[in-house]
Amino acid sequence: MRRLSLSHPLLGAALILASIVDGGCYVGVDNDSAGQGFTAGLTQGASAGSSSDSAGSDSAGSDSAGSDSAGDDPPPELAPAPASIRLLLNRHYRNAIRDLLGEGAAAVVNPPLDTPINGFDAIGASQLALSDASVEAYENSARAAAAVAIQDLGRIGALMECQPQGPGDSECHANFIRNFGRLAWRRPLTDDEVGRYVAVAQTAALDNGDFYVGVENAIATLLQSPNFLYMVEIGEADPEDQGRRYLTSHEMATRLSFFLNDTTPPPWLLDGADDGLLDSPGGVRDAARVLLDEPAARVALDNYFAELLRLRSLDTLAKDSGVWPQWSPALAQAMRTETLMLIQDVVWQRDADFLEILDAPYTFANNLIGPLYGLTPPGGGLWGDAFVKTPLPAESKRGGILGQGALLSVLAHISSTSPTLRGKFVRETLLCEAIPAPPPGVNMVIPPEGEALPTMRERLQAHLTDPGCAACHVAMDPIGFGLENFDGLGVFRTMENGAQINTASDLNGAAFDGARELGAVVREQENVPLCIIRNLFRHSTGHVETTGELPTLMLLDDVFAEHDHSLQDLLVELVSSPTFRMVGVPE
Amino acid sequence: MKRFTLNRRTMLRGVLGGTAVALALPPLEAMLNANGTAYANGDPLPRRFVTWFFGNGVALVNPFDPNNNQLKWTPPDYGPGYSLPTQLAPLSGVKEYCSVISNLEVRAKHPEVRGHHTGVSGFFSGYPYIKLDPMGANYSSKFGGPSIDQVAASFIGDQTFLPSVQLRISKRIVTSEGPTLNYLSHKGPDQPLQPIHNPQEAFQKLFGGFVPPDDPTKPLRLSALDAVAEDVKRLQMRVGSNDRQRLDAHLSSIAQIQKQIESIAPECSAPPQPGETNSDQDGKEPLDSVNKVMSDLLILAFHCDITRVASIQYTGSVGYTVFHMLGQSQGHHDLSHDANANDQVDAATIKTMEAFAYLLQGLRDTPEGDGNLLDNSCLLLGSDAASGLRHSDFNQPCIVAGRGGGALTHPGIHHDAQSANSTDVLLACLKTVAPQASEAGGGNGHSTTPLGAIMA
Repeated sequence: MRRLSLSHPLLGAALILASIVDGGCYVGVDNDSAGQGFTAGLTQGASAGSSSDSAGSDSAGSDSAGSDSAGDDPPPELAPAPASIRLLLNRHYRNAIRDLLGEGAAAVVNPPLDTPINGFDAIGASQLALSDASVEAYENSARAAAAVAIQDLGRIGALMECQPQGPGDSECHANFIRNFGRLAWRRPLTDDEVGRYVAVAQTAALDNGDFYVGVENAIATLLQSPNFLYMVEIGEADPEDQGRRYLTSHEMATRLSFFLNDTTPPPWLLDGADDGLLDSPGGVRDAARVLLDEPAARVALDNYFAELLRLRSLDTLAKDSGVWPQWSPALAQAMRTETLMLIQDVVWQRDADFLEILDAPYTFANNLIGPLYGLTPPGGGLWGDAFVKTPLPAESKRGGILGQGALLSVLAHISSTSPTLRGKFVRETLLCEAIPAPPPGVNMVIPPEGEALPTMRERLQAHLTDPGCAACHVAMDPIGFGLENFDGLGVFRTMENGAQINTASDLNGAAFDGARELGAVVREQENVPLCIIRNLFRHSTGHVETTGELPTLMLLDDVFAEHDHSLQDLLVELVSSPTFRMVGVPE
Repeated sequence: MKRFTLNRRTMLRGVLGGTAVALALPPLEAMLNANGTAYANGDPLPRRFVTWFFGNGVALVNPFDPNNNQLKWTPPDYGPGYSLPTQLAPLSGVKEYCSVISNLEVRAKHPEVRGHHTGVSGFFSGYPYIKLDPMGANYSSKFGGPSIDQVAASFIGDQTFLPSVQLRISKRIVTSEGPTLNYLSHKGPDQPLQPIHNPQEAFQKLFGGFVPPDDPTKPLRLSALDAVAEDVKRLQMRVGSNDRQRLDAHLSSIAQIQKQIESIAPECSAPPQPGETNSDQDGKEPLDSVNKVMSDLLILAFHCDITRVASIQYTGSVGYTVFHMLGQSQGHHDLSHDANANDQVDAATIKTMEAFAYLLQGLRDTPEGDGNLLDNSCLLLGSDAASGLRHSDFNQPCIVAGRGGGALTHPGIHHDAQSANSTDVLLACLKTVAPQASEAGGGNGHSTTPLGAIMA
């Protein structure tokens, strides 16, 4: 069984990282306690490492196969974030309605939009309260979905083991409410709850002389309940440690399904939860493998990467038509598809080392992407609408997601590149390093383009010579300088305003030139796999990992490496890890 | 579409989506005293409050001189007879209703002063923002307390169908730095209010939500919400204190929606549904059209007393609105960081003031009692920085417009606030709708001293 130890190569890096969080890269900001908290957690973890045998044992036998798992027993130093409730994301809500009541019902709902915090919709959903407008939107959506659903008496009948004997058949209403309520709330209803919803159904049915008006109102009401709208993750106390709680089997089913499939748990998973199968890491692993085989898993992962890599902003991204007349919504969507297809290829088609997305020597091109990059179709002939796996010549300096149009366009200004935004993305999203906000009162005059300063790199020198700017920009701009062969659409260029562009640069001392070399250099950064884990954790649990959780995620980092960075395997190991299965006491 | 009772009295003309519409005055005129200055029973006429925001500040007089922070926006002289600089010229028709306030200081500051974040949250709430970036997660923030429009709504929101409404004109909003930059209205730190950007949705929200008194679904909807509220209360017993507060908000909103279901439509004719949806045309936002339709809808909503509080986010904080109608092709935030684009920033400011002036003129041209809607309104215009180039939160642009039902000085003045706390302006505005209010903001932005210079 693996335990946290001081020898983990990332602990030093994480300490540095925590110190960045603490102080910022320029002086004079406040001193939050993150660094101290982390140090305290580390000390606690180190001392606990030597007494690893005493932690609780799992009753399930099926986890014995997972000999390389990251410690199925919770390490004593694990201090999970407090238990909380999390609002379903917009896409969760829509998909849940689809799976519960059909496509027709899903088409008429209009749940509130998500509000991201710290880059994740899920974090906003776990912190923010509903507004009048949200409650109204949920009410309208629930009523509209129920009105559509009730038209399909076949589907409704499948949720009842009874034939209604008139409008006042409360037994049959109760039967429907138990069955549909369990699916919608992702847990069995209590008798008290059933009684309350039968009353809702009975009032409506008797007033209208129609049993099914009662059903319709029960559906509309169950879908407005907080038990549907929120993932309730309260857990049950760990008998070994009153400060920690295990998610119940039903809560696990919910967390698993919304993470891996972006939707409500299917009936088989709820059946498993009824039988307690998700109380053991082995059971969770088994369920995760099945969920990952669903087509929904691929859509969910697409949605995740579209969020993480900001591909969603391509929907409304504006570009200066004077500079880039070829920019169009169709091109933007093609870019999105290209990036997602590379990820799909690595994760699903090949189940290869996930880090290959950083420097893969191929991409997926069609008649919009191929010409943009100056590529010829691999099989000869002409480009078509369909995307084709296409090798990228080394001299193109292109390879991996950092050389694709999507990120190069999103991480740019409307009429120019932005080495700063590109570098900031690499630091924040790929390395999980903090870049503080710009300090106040800086004079942000960037010299104009012209003969004296033809290239962006020259114009941005002020960022690196002014001490007030350099402290942070030295961490960002040079990364982007190495990508300056790619303009704000990702088109390759060697000249800017008549001058040769110098694209030789380095990341943390490792030299690179161009996107593919940058990807290769990023791959070698030891923070990168852990950052992949941290991002997935933030999305799947709706909070930024705490200092009490980070050490356990570091254990997963080892497992990720042992699995040759298979993302599919990582997902299975992440969801079955104690960090994913446990919460703290509600605060 | 649900229709209100048409009550033909005085007919007004308004422009909505380019179509002339007729509407009837609400019946309150019949209930006014002989002078038309109050209701017959002595109650004052309703007062309205609007916050109106544009992002990224205004142009500098000399962007290339780092020691000169003078804004082109600032009138050259002070007092009631002040002159309008070019940037404020669009207000000339309603100048007597406008007080320009210079040299305010945003004192509501988190110790880590962040461009835009400090400016918008400090100015519009009077609370320092709350920093949200644990463990190296990308920096984000949320408002430290309710924005002033929501404080106003907490005083007077229960008197109308909707406590308040939030509208957005440009959709080029930055969502990646947390609720502070994303939204203008916040009921509290964890309750940002999403604005409506589509005029058809705004129409539905303001005029389409009334349920006819005999609608058979009414009791069913109310009892459904009762059952849901019961679930919320039971869940509250299991969660921590933060979540209990979130669920308290859920309960209040359930009660509000129940109240709306039971509301009787005012006797005021609904306008036709606007054609405008705020969809881009060839990648260009229909800013002018959306601003007009949204302003017209809000004026009608005030006129019909459907709500008394509104916020309008014209452009976003760090927003990348392209003022294409001015021949511009770059986003406003990018331009505001380019000293060479000072003239383009300036042109955008003038365009923005035209948009604000459109709302003021519409309010002024809508009679109410013996005056007009602008007489009974207070509009607070502000931004998130003095100039985007310097990111300074000192001397951010600020205009207080309207007479606030007689509570604001008239004619308007140009006032040198001499580094007064910007929250003093919030408190003065708040007192126009809630005279009993005695404080605004919190922390280092807290104020108990309304800005006397702009009060009558």
